[in-house]
Amino acid sequence: MAKILDKQRYKCALAAMQTVQAIDRALPILHSGPGCAQKLSDGTGSSGYFSPNIFPCTSINEKDVVFGGVKKLNSTIENSLKVIDADLYVVLTGCIPEIVGDDSEEVVTRFEDADKPVVYAPTAGFKGNNYKGHEQVVDAIIDQYLKKSDKKEEGLVNIWADVPYQDLFWLGNLREIEKLISELGLKPNTIFGYNRGIMNIDKIPEAQFNLLVSPWVGLSNVKKLEKKFGTPFLHYKTLPIGATETSKFLREVGKFAGVSEIKVESVIKEHEDYYYYLIARYADLFLENRVINKQFSVVADAQYTLAITKFLVNDLGLLPATQFITDDTPKVYHDAIREEFENLNFGIKAEVLFETDGYKIHNNIKEHDYHGYPLVLGGYYEKELTEELKGNFLNISWPFQDRVVMDTSYAGYSGSIKLIEDIYTVAVSRFN
Amino acid sequence: MSYKIAIGTSDGVNVDLKFGAVRAFHVYGVDGTEVALLEVREVPSESPESVDCSVNNDCSGKEGCSGNGGGCGGPSQASAKVDVISDCRCVVCSKIGFSAQKVFEKKAISVFDVECTVEEALSKITGYYAKVDGHISLRRKQDPGTQSEDA
Repeated sequence: MAKILDKQRYKCALAAMQTVQAIDRALPILHSGPGCAQKLSDGTGSSGYFSPNIFPCTSINEKDVVFGGVKKLNSTIENSLKVIDADLYVVLTGCIPEIVGDDSEEVVTRFEDADKPVVYAPTAGFKGNNYKGHEQVVDAIIDQYLKKSDKKEEGLVNIWADVPYQDLFWLGNLREIEKLISELGLKPNTIFGYNRGIMNIDKIPEAQFNLLVSPWVGLSNVKKLEKKFGTPFLHYKTLPIGATETSKFLREVGKFAGVSEIKVESVIKEHEDYYYYLIARYADLFLENRVINKQFSVVADAQYTLAITKFLVNDLGLLPATQFITDDTPKVYHDAIREEFENLNFGIKAEVLFETDGYKIHNNIKEHDYHGYPLVLGGYYEKELTEELKGNFLNISWPFQDRVVMDTSYAGYSGSIKLIEDIYTVAVSRFN
Repeated sequence: MSYKIAIGTSDGVNVDLKFGAVRAFHVYGVDGTEVALLEVREVPSESPESVDCSVNNDCSGKEGCSGNGGGCGGPSQASAKVDVISDCRCVVCSKIGFSAQKVFEKKAISVFDVECTVEEALSKITGYYAKVDGHISLRRKQDPGTQSEDA
């Protein structure tokens, strides 16, 4: 029976071009029908180097379906290498070439000896959403570009977190995690964002260990890195937001990396002192405020739903209603993630639903008793619903229509202060 | 379902003629699995020049004519030539000018501008249409890693 998916929160796997354009001076080359890069024009910014509207694309049509589009792909790649100045060229295939069986991989291997590296990722839209596509692009870089290295740099940590451009706060979050890691005395290495392109990718095999800060996206990548380069990895499931989680994060990373406990505790103390100073200043607002909601629901991908639930319960004392994870998480990870939701302070357990259909999510929210007005943190689809229920709404996940964010972060100590500001701004502007 | 394919070829072996240069189309009929040359249909010879927008004077744009909403009817010469094979499902030539393509589009005739042997063109096109008409997947190789049905 055909199913209709209402209000999906992700894009097709070909949107992994977002991951490519997050790498400084990397260029996606598309082997797909015309117009596939249009989905990148949604207000979360572009690479600043090359516009999605002019990504090299084979724009295949019926003739290429019947006679094969391999020749066109070959000339597109060849000419892109001549005309466009980039450090890394990533060939991504869309639905049509994958269905008709164009051997794109073979075409890409013809460019093995080109001046610049050309890699290939099979990101057909029907294979999954862009969370999977993101993993595939990283896999392609690991498999096809990285070479083994005997050199190991002490203290160098590769950080894998967030899905660029799918998450509005990706740049700020990555920088914040880097900052925290470097305060521990380690050397962070990320490949997405400003000034971190191919030179950082080259350093990946030399790291002491890989740090994965995510519930599930990227797990297959770090496992692959462990297999290929022997680099161990630490999988920290929650994006640290707020003092409780960030201190826990620093302690765990410090222990794994062998940083002295005294150093870790001194870093934590310095941050926590300032963090609680800010909280204490606003104690009246938090405790006396009658307009802040009692129960909340988060409608976002696994990363934010988990991180924000933990923050709101452990740090702000709100109670969780049902939480929704909308990124079509593979079933193998469901149990592990569910367990994290039951691991909150004061024995509180949050119920989590892995649901991609917006209609079902909205019905669930409408039918739930929030003991007052609901606090909903989700995508723009939830705004109208929350207004109907006279609740408070904050747009933190895709789609983003009423916010412009450049490098703000919600992670760490300072990011959580920003999140508190945003939530309470919505709450106090209620009666204005 | 039976249909016709028009090919622009000088010798019946290679697809080597540009649409504008074709004097006679080789029209093949396809019925089920049978493919046969039906006739060599001549183009009425009142339009000797190639179909070129810049030659004709009822068209305003020269080369940047990339679709004016209403649709460029194409110069009248192209229309005449297209009419000759208007009963065919598709046309195969080595190169087909943009204005002629537009005229074909309006008549829902597929355009294939390829350079290969007539045999190869026929086998690929008939294979494609057989799958499309029989609602068979166009997938050439089965990929065990995919998780959904035919797109």
